[in-house]
Amino acid sequence: MPDGNVIVLLKDVVAGYQTTGRGWRSLFKHVNVVLRGVNLRVYDGERVAIIGESGSGKTTLLKVVLGLLKPVKGSVEVLGKDIYKLPWRERVNVLKQVGYVPQDPYKALNPKLRVRTILSEPLESAKAKPEEVEGRVREVAKMVQLSDKILDKYPGELSGGMMQRVLIARSIIHDPEILILDEPTSALDVSIQAQIIELINNIHKKLELAILTVTHDLGVAQYLSDRAVILYKGGVIEEGYIDDIITRPKHEYTNLLIASYKASI
Amino acid sequence: MVLAVKAKDLRVGYMDEEENILWAVKGVSFEVRQGEVFCLVGESGCGKSTIGNTIIGILPPYAVTEGELYVFNKPVVVGNLRDYTGIRGRVVSYVPQNPGTSLNPYQTIGTQLYYVLNSVYGWDKKKSLEVAKKYLSLVELDPESVIDYYPHELSGGMQQRAAIAIALSTGAKILVADEPTSALDAHLRLQLIKLLMKLRETESLTLILITHDLVSTGKICDTVAVVYSGKIVEKCSGSNVIIEPLHPYTQMLADAVPLLGIKRPLKSIPGEPPKPGEEIAGCVFAPRCPLAFEKCVEPPPSFNVYNGEVACWRYANIAGR
Ligand SMILES: Nc1ncnc2c1ncn2[C@@H]1O[C@H](COP(=O)(O)OP(=O)(O)OP(=O)(O)O)[C@@H](O)[C@H]1O
Ligand SMILES: Nc1ncnc2c1ncn2[C@@H]1O[C@H](COP(=O)(O)OP(=O)(O)O)[C@@H](O)[C@H]1O
Ligand SMILES: [Mg+2]
Ligand SMILES: [Mg+2]
Repeated sequence: MPDGNVIVLLKDVVAGYQTTGRGWRSLFKHVNVVLRGVNLRVYDGERVAIIGESGSGKTTLLKVVLGLLKPVKGSVEVLGKDIYKLPWRERVNVLKQVGYVPQDPYKALNPKLRVRTILSEPLESAKAKPEEVEGRVREVAKMVQLSDKILDKYPGELSGGMMQRVLIARSIIHDPEILILDEPTSALDVSIQAQIIELINNIHKKLELAILTVTHDLGVAQYLSDRAVILYKGGVIEEGYIDDIITRPKHEYTNLLIASYKASI
Repeated sequence: MVLAVKAKDLRVGYMDEEENILWAVKGVSFEVRQGEVFCLVGESGCGKSTIGNTIIGILPPYAVTEGELYVFNKPVVVGNLRDYTGIRGRVVSYVPQNPGTSLNPYQTIGTQLYYVLNSVYGWDKKKSLEVAKKYLSLVELDPESVIDYYPHELSGGMQQRAAIAIALSTGAKILVADEPTSALDAHLRLQLIKLLMKLRETESLTLILITHDLVSTGKICDTVAVVYSGKIVEKCSGSNVIIEPLHPYTQMLADAVPLLGIKRPLKSIPGEPPKPGEEIAGCVFAPRCPLAFEKCVEPPPSFNVYNGEVACWRYANIAGR
């Protein structure tokens, strides 16, 4: 296993969504448990993939790491801090070290702002100086290959691939320690998928950050991770090096996943 | 042989603010037999959804059409006249590209299914919900809980499956599915494809699949049409498209797909497809084609080779042999 600092550490996390039933059942509240005791470690600079079937709790797991969903049980440490025990302001500061690219690119950007503003806004709200803001936006735009012309556009005018570049640019604007991506390529065509995979790996090399990718696609995981965690019905059923998992799956579900992949692709 | 869909030199464009027509589909002809699995592949922006939306009858009012389109021999597009009476939603149904935005966020999945079943079969709520549950189980969703869920309470892949359930519940004869499995893991994708194949046998469902994943397409489709810049550049059988891609574009699409256990470098296709309104005099793919030569400044006709059709000058000499 890799050594170095642990960037994200989840211990026995149980989490879910509070639901109120419909009709008379709305008198009762209960938690619909999605994650059933998840343990996860992401080390400094490594690339980890979370793989699992649809509805298995991958996005939910990310919400927990991002401070958006408080677990019912267990602890969540980001950069050594138990985020749900921190006062709100400190939690925000820790989470600034975490870049995030959400699952649905089309819903994630404010349609009324130009790309340039989308990128400068987080810096301005962090009280950076105007000349710093401009320099940083230029730097990041260059890293993800966004031209000046694109910076002046609105999200609605962008193709899916460009939109994903903008989201990645925004996620690394504070130079984070870890970049979290939820299905970064599943809305893109295969050619653009190949470009985005290359881009993410370039960023990994240049910024030396950790990468945590959620994907349902084993083929994509091969290119975006060194280590993988297989999530099944809210629990981790298998973890290890991605190449080992693909050649020698241990769990029945992983086996099924690989067999299906080979049958349909 | 019954033809489910037939397009003859179909052109579809969108009017912009200055009333220029930007052609997204630039003259395509194809036939889809009843019970066939017909696939449109290509990069984003090549006009796949526009062709799909024309078959379903959901083009926006500012769309312009030329040529002809028939659905079960009924002319639905003749020139710029479009008439989908009795076809839309009944004969042809569809799974939209982006289920997250196409499901109604204010209605539970059960209610949305009820509206469809009620309008098609006139069933009351009780009967509709009973049948609705069957469709939810078909796509491997837990019917008892999901029927009461709002779309935001479902994961991305569950939304996609709910949209498929709604599309199937119309009992349509033709299903146009726009990237129906892009958010699904391999296991679920295979289940769904098997389900659709079963419906093809039992209900003689005709399937028009839209996707950018050439490799998985080849395994399930009878016919594949490769679309580039609003034109069909290659048409062949699903089995041939992986073994022997004809058009350089088809080959490049295949090279961009990750394969399990084989870690070759992924190649993206350099550059991007032409924007709508961008006219290219010769072969539309020539500006990005590594194999382009002098001849390619002229638009290639479609050559018949190896039981397929390909619009590429490299086949001029061997065509028809
Ligand atoms: N906002 C919400 N309210 C209630 N339940 C939710 C909510 N979001 C997700 N769920 C439920 O949590 C479970 C896991 O969902 P999650 O979004 O984590 O899945 P996922 O693994 O990301 O799946 P996919 O690959 O399809 O995106 C599902 O059963 C879903 O119904
Ligand atoms: N409703 C619409 N209004 C205007 N232009 C559109 C509309 N739908 C698609 N287009 C344009 O038509 C072209 C083809 O798009 P589309 O059919 O969605 O391709 P694909 O499905 O292959 O990605 C694109 O350039 C797109 O911008
Ligand atoms: Mg998800
Ligand atoms: Mg489309």
